[in-house]
Amino acid sequence: MNDRHLASQFDEDLNVISSKLMEMGGLVEMQIKLANQALKSFSVSQIDDILEAEDKVDLLEVDIDRELATITVRRQPAARDLRLLMAISKITTNLERTGDEASKIAKRIRSIVETGEAREIALGDLHSIFDKAADLIHRVLDAFARLDVVTAVTIHKEDDQIDHEFKGFTRKLITHMMEDPRTIRSCQDLLFIAKAVERIGDHAKNISEFIIYIVKGMDVRHSALTHVDIDSVVQLPS
Amino acid sequence: MDALRSSPSAVARVLDARQAHFNRRNRLNYFAIVLSMIAMFFGMFWLLWILWETVSQGVAGLSIAMLTENTPPPNEPIGVGGLGNTILGSAMMVALATFIGAPIGILSGIYLAEYDPRGKIAGIVRFVNDLLLSAPSIIIGLFVYEIMVVTLKEFSGWAGAVALSLIVIPIVIRTTENMLALIPSSLREAAYALGTPKWKVITRITLTAARAGVLTGILLAIARIAGETAPLLFTALNNQFWKTGLSGPTPNLPVTILQFAMSPYENWQQIAWCGVFLITFAVLALNILARFLTRGVQASN
Amino acid sequence: MNENLTPPPNKMTVRNLNFYYGKAQALKGINLDIPERHVTAFIGPSGCGKSTLLRTFNRMFELYPEQRAEGEILLDGENLLKSKHNVALIRARIGMVFQKPTPFPMSIFDNIAFGVKLFEKLSRVDLEERVEWALRKGALWDEVKDKLEQSGASLSGGQQQRLCIARGVAIKPEVLLLDEPCSALDPISTARIEELIAELKRDYTVIIVTHNMQQAARCSDYTAYMYLGELMEVGQTEQIFLKPSRQETEDYITGRFG
Repeated sequence: MNDRHLASQFDEDLNVISSKLMEMGGLVEMQIKLANQALKSFSVSQIDDILEAEDKVDLLEVDIDRELATITVRRQPAARDLRLLMAISKITTNLERTGDEASKIAKRIRSIVETGEAREIALGDLHSIFDKAADLIHRVLDAFARLDVVTAVTIHKEDDQIDHEFKGFTRKLITHMMEDPRTIRSCQDLLFIAKAVERIGDHAKNISEFIIYIVKGMDVRHSALTHVDIDSVVQLPS
Repeated sequence: MDALRSSPSAVARVLDARQAHFNRRNRLNYFAIVLSMIAMFFGMFWLLWILWETVSQGVAGLSIAMLTENTPPPNEPIGVGGLGNTILGSAMMVALATFIGAPIGILSGIYLAEYDPRGKIAGIVRFVNDLLLSAPSIIIGLFVYEIMVVTLKEFSGWAGAVALSLIVIPIVIRTTENMLALIPSSLREAAYALGTPKWKVITRITLTAARAGVLTGILLAIARIAGETAPLLFTALNNQFWKTGLSGPTPNLPVTILQFAMSPYENWQQIAWCGVFLITFAVLALNILARFLTRGVQASN
Repeated sequence: MNENLTPPPNKMTVRNLNFYYGKAQALKGINLDIPERHVTAFIGPSGCGKSTLLRTFNRMFELYPEQRAEGEILLDGENLLKSKHNVALIRARIGMVFQKPTPFPMSIFDNIAFGVKLFEKLSRVDLEERVEWALRKGALWDEVKDKLEQSGASLSGGQQQRLCIARGVAIKPEVLLLDEPCSALDPISTARIEELIAELKRDYTVIIVTHNMQQAARCSDYTAYMYLGELMEVGQTEQIFLKPSRQETEDYITGRFG
């Protein structure tokens, strides 16, 4: 396999885009980590950091899209390059939304902490989901950097577990709300947070699908629709 | 290059050094131009002198009578007689020689360029043709003398025409082959790609495309034989009478010029100059015509 | 482009084709199907044999005695390399257009009529009709209809190339071979020729050799990638340009070749 283009400027351009994407991923990862910590410690000290990072993520998204347009019009990428650039475009969208979810979570945490409610509700399940989602984002970015299909497939499957646990947590909150209607407001905040965390898992899953697309050239989105057996993807030629 | 990026003074230094280098080269260039101009003027000087002599000596005797009357006996007054019979004789022999030589030359050229460009026979033909092309024309005259004049026991215009045609053939072969070889092979392939048979590709496509070049070759050959004297000395000989056939000694310009110019008679010498003038300008006209035709070739390619 | 559940029938089939320039082997065991009424592009680096392969299809190589082909090239099932028909009849079925425009040294009208008259005896009226039809097919009629008696060489490069395409079309071939038809043309003329190719594939099987990968991507339905005399990969153009199955193809398509 030959990793270098005849036009070295093309390689450089691709590197610039990839590193910008990794920078964006790093920011989003940090947002999630801070939000997770804030939820665990019921503290609002780092909420502003999360919201500030959001602006940077948005700027990077715009920046990467512009670079994508430039490299497309200048180089007319094909095959692996084309798949990489299309995937990057989709991944930035997913990352930007992941950042949005982190910001939403941050705002809800502030609301919970300020009202001082919900401290009596057991959040162990939510913490577990949050840890898993944060871990997925971390690993999926790692897998992108290494174009690691095996990890991507694993992540794709692990998201199902988050969805499953999210449903369990939802049921639990509903029970709480029925038992003690005074908790409805804070339970609603928690529900929003759980939903946002679940969405983060979904974005990680989407990104894993684009990693598979880059490496294997196969679109595994909505695999129920395309009848793709995700496990068999690893065996495909790359 | 790095120097150019650094400081303004460094930039100035580099520019000065380059300017000095450039000035040196300029002087050398000027010197070379002057040398080649001198060489050119040296060559041109003699050519123009010859042309001037031809014109100044030849124009004086030029008249209608010069083109129509027969060659006079020696010691007649200047102005009596002309070159009419020799012009007609030369024209007949040149025409016949072209008529014999051009088709043979064209066909041979076609064979070399189209049928067997890299074959053994072609190699031999090409070699022999080159020999013939550079053979002294007197040898050709002797050869035709041997096979025609001796066997038929008569000097004749026929023999003269055959001798001239032997000069025409190699020239036409060479130009035809070269002109056909200049036709891009893609044109030939395009014709074959339509399913065109070979003879049609040659006649309709390649030969047509090379037409101007081939015609030029023929014109140059005519220009060449119009002034040939040596082959005619042993074949057509000469004659001072009006003659519309080619049997027997036939009057012709080149031999007449030779004979008259060498003679001590003033009227003959004057006529010789006129002949020189006529031949020179006929050849010049043919050359200009050939130039004109090849220009057309270049423009269409 | 749909997924082509039923692939189009094959117009030409190449089986175990080997080709030699003297002793040097230029094509090695080529096996290839050319679908009917589609555009197939041959791509690959210089010297990979793509033009050589194209020139075996109308036996053009036979003009040069040191060149020789072994194997089978089937046109509608008949092996062209061992055909009982005259090679001229084969070439009338398989037209070819070259890299450089090659107008014949005659008028625009005669350029078209020349090939027609080789195979058909037409009345003057029918011939004129055929010339107009071919020039329309070549998308040239509107530009030359008032100057049919002018020399073909008087046209611009792009017009000359369309004249050559029209000349090939005029004898109603079944297959059109285009050997880098746009490499000597400017972008506008190139776009016109590409548009013309899209038109022509409705009636003809078109095979195009091109150095320009974007051109292959733009105007072909199938793409074959060749390298060092071998056919590395052939497939639908989208597949070749999005997800080629061989690493060598991918490296070439993405410009990592070298």
